[in-house]
Amino acid sequence: MRGVSSALTGNGNQISLLDMEASIEHLGRATPQGVDALLVVVEPYYRALETASRIAPLARQLEIPRLVTIANKVRDAEDSRVIREFCKAHDLDLVIEIPFDEAVRDADRQGRSLIDVAPNAPTVTAVRTLAGMLA
Amino acid sequence: MKLAVSGKGGAGKTTISATLARVFAQQGREVFAIDGDPNPNLGVALGISREALANAPMVPKDIVRDVYDDKGVQHMELKESLESLRERYAIEGPDGVHLMFVTGLDHAGQG
Repeated sequence: MRGVSSALTGNGNQISLLDMEASIEHLGRATPQGVDALLVVVEPYYRALETASRIAPLARQLEIPRLVTIANKVRDAEDSRVIREFCKAHDLDLVIEIPFDEAVRDADRQGRSLIDVAPNAPTVTAVRTLAGMLA
Repeated sequence: MKLAVSGKGGAGKTTISATLARVFAQQGREVFAIDGDPNPNLGVALGISREALANAPMVPKDIVRDVYDDKGVQHMELKESLESLRERYAIEGPDGVHLMFVTGLDHAGQG
């Protein structure tokens, strides 16, 4: 995968986006070496946050230039607080909080793309903001 | 620009990856979405039909070869051009997103 993602950037208009295997061991095998940014998606649950805290040092070892954390499925102020505190404690750069979004479940149920089912869903709006940060 | 999306399973990385791919494509960027998950569902999340996905080719594991830099560090490089790879293995989705399946490729050259 390294080879593919490294090569898929022939010009400035191209973007390659690798949806990685979830397991931490995968990252340990240096799969995303050569990427410009690693996006780590977390939920406000301990195990998801803990996974992120283990990914971060590996990403730093791999010298990935940019490591960003994306909070997903944030239901309320308490969820937000838990994630913010965890990220602060573990030196994770939390760049966006995506609210819990029923439209994601609707799209999943229909087996369709979220952006087609609900182009103005909170998740889509948040991802547009994220795209602006990354570009 | 090369991006990778990681996180615990179920956290929403595929939905976010697919939406990010579509958003960039709608902005006029040429997007290559690479599904590296052993349970690939990025295609559905991108809005590609099940029929198209059922016939999608897998990028073979021997597409890369090991090379060593002057420090002796192992890297992988493609044996063929990007254009050739895209023509043979990518399926096109909405907004022109190219999708390729490369699950397991990282095991190449591991021994």
